[in-house]
Amino acid sequence: MSLVRHALRWEVGLTVLGLTLFAYMSLASSDFFTSFTLQSLALNATVIGFLALGVAPVIVSGDIDISIAAMLGLCTIVMAEVWQAGVNIWVAALVAVVLGCVLGLANGIFVVLLELPSLAITLGSMGAYTGIAFLILGGSAITSFPSSLITLGSGLAGNAVPWSTLVLLAVAAVLAFLLHRTTFGRAVFAIGANKQASRFSGLAVVRTKLLVFVISGFMSGVAAIFYAGYFNTAQGGLGAEDLLPAITVVILGGVSAYGGTGTIPGVVLALFVLGVLQTGLGVLGFSGQEQTIAVGLTLILALAVSAAARAVRARFAASAARAPA
Amino acid sequence: MTSLRDRVDSLLASLARAPELGLISILVALTVYAAAALPAFRTTGNADQILSNSTIIAILALAETLVLLTRQIDLSVGAELGLCAYLVGSALGHVGGGPPVAILMALGLGAVLGLGNALLVDLVRMPAIIATLATLSIYGGLQVVVTHGSQLYAYQLPHWLTTLYATKWGPLPAFACVALVLVVVLTAGVQMTRWGRDLYAMGSNPEAAGVTGLPVRRRTYEAFVACGALSGFAGLLYAAQYGNVDATAGNGIELTAIAAAVIGGVSLFGGSGTPAGAALGALLLIEIENILAIEKISIFAQELLQGLAIVASVAVYALVRRYSQRLGARRRRLQAAGPLSGAAVVEPAEAHP
Repeated sequence: MSLVRHALRWEVGLTVLGLTLFAYMSLASSDFFTSFTLQSLALNATVIGFLALGVAPVIVSGDIDISIAAMLGLCTIVMAEVWQAGVNIWVAALVAVVLGCVLGLANGIFVVLLELPSLAITLGSMGAYTGIAFLILGGSAITSFPSSLITLGSGLAGNAVPWSTLVLLAVAAVLAFLLHRTTFGRAVFAIGANKQASRFSGLAVVRTKLLVFVISGFMSGVAAIFYAGYFNTAQGGLGAEDLLPAITVVILGGVSAYGGTGTIPGVVLALFVLGVLQTGLGVLGFSGQEQTIAVGLTLILALAVSAAARAVRARFAASAARAPA
Repeated sequence: MTSLRDRVDSLLASLARAPELGLISILVALTVYAAAALPAFRTTGNADQILSNSTIIAILALAETLVLLTRQIDLSVGAELGLCAYLVGSALGHVGGGPPVAILMALGLGAVLGLGNALLVDLVRMPAIIATLATLSIYGGLQVVVTHGSQLYAYQLPHWLTTLYATKWGPLPAFACVALVLVVVLTAGVQMTRWGRDLYAMGSNPEAAGVTGLPVRRRTYEAFVACGALSGFAGLLYAAQYGNVDATAGNGIELTAIAAAVIGGVSLFGGSGTPAGAALGALLLIEIENILAIEKISIFAQELLQGLAIVASVAVYALVRRYSQRLGARRRRLQAAGPLSGAAVVEPAEAHP
């Protein structure tokens, strides 16, 4: 029960932080609270959002997948190549998503079936996937995707909200249902909290963990569609800079790096907080690197606050336990 | 009389104890093959180049090993290297200074950056992978901020530094000598002192290490600070080797360093691996890169090969270790059963229905 309380508190804190930042940025610069700025905020967050949502279940299950950005790159490039070979763009998009699942499954097989450390394996597959992407495309780039894909990736629904944001929120809702309302989701949390105990209590540890890695690959494949639709280009090494922000979003969203806790709404809120922070700093005239520093500091600050809160609570609990005696 | 099975078993067991042996055989085999097949590989100049080019990766891998042994990780070594390369390089350019000053500055600045990591891990209780992910973006961001988009050129650096890469000390390139000295020092420090045994103990079982009264917190600080200091030193060599230092210096090099350590048999789960193994892992990676370049195989294939090498080596180490553990367990059971039941040894624990 205290876990639920902790998670709730974390999300309340994130909401307050996000709204405060939002209000501050709106007051500090008249350029912030404009439809153009807010739309680019949303559009910029999409690809990182899909990656973060994909890797969140992996981290909840107590593992890590640092090949998400490499999978994004490979899926985008294969999609572009398939499309250039004359295939319909939506069929090519489907190929990207299926490829993502296969790449994720490959990670899962090494980590789960051979019981190897996920950090090392996905470090290796990150290099392998990036290398394959470079080998396919060499040093060139594919651009000028069809307008239907561009509309999905950077168009606005009703001239107001980006389509990509709507899709991101819908996918987040499905993932939240999967993780928080199904037996599969409960198994993911149980495995992250205590793998040994989960195995002894008869959970399908192998199947669940494999599926978690497949979800991560699947979401990288989906992210590939929106990457191509937004940036309108595919070239080797693309997306590599999205790895750290994606994992930052997950951790800032309250997912424990040790596994076992975290929520999808928390991840979405963290995406909002970071988006407001980065876009706001950009509007205020800070450089991209200064924004990166701010993101790193926010992550440290958030975790420091939560560690301090835990310590205070533990002290209260200890004194409360002593008091009756 | 020993059967083939026994011989294979003992081979695997010794491989599990000293993974460097396997690595050295791969290195020797690769070198013999390349020397026989590729005339361009055989030159002394090429051998020197391989040794010198592995030095920076090897030093970073050594730095990473200290932290990995304690079951932590440091993703910020590349950013530490870049920041130190630029700051120490410009300081030397402005005020000048000989090798002792330069080395002290690089080690000191690196140590301060490493201390930042240690504080986050110990005081804020952040998992090392998250803490150093955050400092990677902070140190990397600082690097861009301090460089102002400009870069450091070779002519701004002291002469002794820019000529170091091409210098030979006796038969070996200066860079290789530096790496060798560090391997020897760290091997002694890690494998022959109580300090080193503490690191292994913490990595094997952090809880037990704390309960038995090892200074776990202090060793955590020392490991991260030493890792940062070595990364800073690698930054000085980076400035020496490349002459040019800009905002992207060291970007992504941490993954190559971790790859070298992992290929060298350093476990990401802590408690096993040696500095010599990590350095050999770096040498292997660079030698493969060198051969690919001579064969004119696309540089894009290198990333793929490096990735596959990580996966393969992690898999082989884990499987060999597991096999030899099972072997050890079986041998202990046999010994326990031996004196009582004589020759007829029955595998225990095979329950009857």
